[in-house]
Amino acid sequence: MSTVGTLVAVGVVVVLMMVGGDRRALLIGATTDAHHQLEMACETCHAAPAFADAETAKNELNKTCRKCHEDALDDADDSHSRKRFRSPRMAAYREKVDARYCTSCHVEHRPDITRASAVTVAMDFCVACHSEGEQDIRATRPSHEGLSFDTCAGCHNYHDNRALYEDFLVRHAGQPWLKAEPVHALSAQYRAWEPPEESAIGPGAVAAPAVALADAAIVAHWAGSGHAEAGVACADCHAPDFAEGGLQGDVEAAWTDSPSVSVCRDCHRQEVRTFALGRHGMRQHPEIAVPREPGQGLATLGVDATLPETISARLSDPVPPTHMHAAEARLPMRIDAPTEPLDCGTCHDSHAVDIEHAAVAACASCHDDLHTRAYFGSPHHALWLKEQAGEAALGTGVSCATCHMVKGKRRGKVTTDHNQNDSLRPNEKMIRPVCLDCHGLAFSLDALADTDLVSRNFAGRPAVHVESIEWAVRRAEPPDAGR
Amino acid sequence: MLTFTEEILLLLLGEEDGAFLPVNSNAFECALAGATLMDLAFALRIDTDLESLIVLNENPTGLAMLDRILARIATHPEVMDAQSWVRLLAREEANTIREQALASLVDRGILEQRERRRVEHYPMRDGTAQREIKLHIREVVLADDIPDPRDVVRIALCDACSIFPEVLSEREIEQATPRIRQLRIMDLIGREVAGAIAAIQRTMLMAVRARLARFRRYVLALAAIGGIATLATVLAPRIPVPDRFGPTLLERLWGDGAWQEWSGYVLLALSVLGFAAASLRRMRFAAKIGDQNWWRVMHVGLGLSCVLLLFVHTGFRLGYNLNAVLMGCYLAALVSGAFAGILMGGATQLRRFGFAQAGRLTRLPMRVHVIALCTLPALLVIHLLIVYLY
Repeated sequence: MSTVGTLVAVGVVVVLMMVGGDRRALLIGATTDAHHQLEMACETCHAAPAFADAETAKNELNKTCRKCHEDALDDADDSHSRKRFRSPRMAAYREKVDARYCTSCHVEHRPDITRASAVTVAMDFCVACHSEGEQDIRATRPSHEGLSFDTCAGCHNYHDNRALYEDFLVRHAGQPWLKAEPVHALSAQYRAWEPPEESAIGPGAVAAPAVALADAAIVAHWAGSGHAEAGVACADCHAPDFAEGGLQGDVEAAWTDSPSVSVCRDCHRQEVRTFALGRHGMRQHPEIAVPREPGQGLATLGVDATLPETISARLSDPVPPTHMHAAEARLPMRIDAPTEPLDCGTCHDSHAVDIEHAAVAACASCHDDLHTRAYFGSPHHALWLKEQAGEAALGTGVSCATCHMVKGKRRGKVTTDHNQNDSLRPNEKMIRPVCLDCHGLAFSLDALADTDLVSRNFAGRPAVHVESIEWAVRRAEPPDAGR
Repeated sequence: MLTFTEEILLLLLGEEDGAFLPVNSNAFECALAGATLMDLAFALRIDTDLESLIVLNENPTGLAMLDRILARIATHPEVMDAQSWVRLLAREEANTIREQALASLVDRGILEQRERRRVEHYPMRDGTAQREIKLHIREVVLADDIPDPRDVVRIALCDACSIFPEVLSEREIEQATPRIRQLRIMDLIGREVAGAIAAIQRTMLMAVRARLARFRRYVLALAAIGGIATLATVLAPRIPVPDRFGPTLLERLWGDGAWQEWSGYVLLALSVLGFAAASLRRMRFAAKIGDQNWWRVMHVGLGLSCVLLLFVHTGFRLGYNLNAVLMGCYLAALVSGAFAGILMGGATQLRRFGFAQAGRLTRLPMRVHVIALCTLPALLVIHLLIVYLY
């Protein structure tokens, strides 16, 4: 009986692993934040063949990590790139930490040893290579003498160290905490757009079902939106196949009340692409594994059989949700957060496309952490209200999106990076594109290093001081340099 | 007429499958030695006093089994007391006595010999003899009459091997316990057979208790440590992985996949050895290595080492999903095994506190132990598949 039970249980698990079915019960540990959205699509990360040797498995995991994180690493000018550690010269260092493999420091499903930024080695890991020889930081940087290695991560980031480049620090030394004209230039440019007069464009020229056009508020919102200004009519989104010259009947037949994200992507390619890189939209990332076909799994086991539909349905992988839901978030969320899947329409009103709403209210409709709560009433919020009221210049207000959905320029146009993580982890990443428009570098470094101040959403002055600038200046201009 | 040795063997055989009932091997060996000496005493071939066991008559009894022992006593260079003879025969002759008695029962047509899964079985060809012995013992124990000296010996042998539960119901045992205790110490035999039987009987019981007590102490100690260690695994706070980078032992144990792989395989090997120690102890080859008590101590000792390796492998972490189920079943097997070991090893102490049927208390933890162990092969294979496939 025990033997039969053993064989049945093992058989079920082998089928689950090799053919199809829900494998979440096989998870060996809770998945890290963000990755938990991909739990149902194991092959997104586990692409190595079954029973592959450790080297192959690590290489395959590296590849799958880079599928999603490569852009960020490239942008960060990764100071510990894999390429650098491939050199034979680095063999001695590889013995200590094999930095060629992501999994040397980031092991998934190990919540017991997972630290900030999904690091699974002790946070003083810099000691491995920077405590002796030519890389001994205490020898090459007298300023670092006496510092223990568990303090490194307080200022430095292993992959993205741009905030502490010496020439950058020296160049921004001595800046006041607040600039004379604190304006976020790209935001100012972005917000300078004037919406069209709602009455200027009538809906009569567009093809749409009478029911849809009967809602005067929707029509008015649309008419005052950028969509109307750009000539994007109802059918362009609601019946895209008949957008160009479609007859009223065709449009009505193909009409959908809830256009998919792919409709938005047609015009907002960059926004939709970056949305899929962040936590809000990562389930739409093109590299997410699709559910397995039971037939393929059987073929890998050497079974060439067509399964009856009932069995095939049972062996099919569960289809993962295509969107994130607020209920799945691991950050504190409001209990009345929207229950709908998170897509473009969650933050952007489909017809009014109110970017002011998307910049603050939409965030606060879900997020309920201390930082979000403290925003309302903070100096940044006060500036935002002033700008909204027309009492301050464009670009002086600071919304959630100002810091977390960083503006950039692409082909002469201001675009919004919808990957909210691009300016976080570490938060110094937002210094260059955001903070420095209004604040000095020293103040920005101090403010972002003060976790309590971050929780209070920067209401007050930093209680922490990062000495990086002083050290860099001393190194660039030694005290006896002028003699 | 059957000898005491043959009678005790018949009582120890299962009615249905002909396999020997689980009985403490030390007690069994001493009982066989004592039964042989008592057969010789009843045949008026030997006598005892406080200091010596002497041969009265060297003429053969006609039974090969008894005559061989009689010859050994007669030719032994030094005179020993009854206790020494029981110990010596238990150690050196028990297996031969057992095999000769079984062969005699097969020759008499009472048993037949079969072998299943390399273990010898002796199913009843004619169960009448066994039924009659059980019925007779039952009558003697439950009646108030003064028993026959041979019955007193039978009762002493049954008590030495703890086989009353096979003869009497639970209620009957409760009812008969005072009388069994009384019969065991009766001096009736002394008057009939010059005190030899009584001396051998007392000696046999003392030897049984002494040998049992030694093994029970080992089992009790190992099981108690194992039980405490297992409970600590469940209840103690998790030991955090050190927050210092470097080749620290704990960092390697719980952070390095290769180390975890090794500790896992050592744990698996110890578990398999522990299982083998429990299941192979009745095999003939196992007896050559050590008696059943030795194997039992080994089993408990290996169980304790499994607890320690489990800590090395997991660091008191109970796991997640199916790993948590595996850990739960493994801990259930360890805790129930330790509990059964404590009850078994502490039976003497428990009896002092009024738990006359301490042996019966082990049945529940043993069942839990076996059920938990049954789940482990599947969960272990799944654990390995998950590790190697992903």
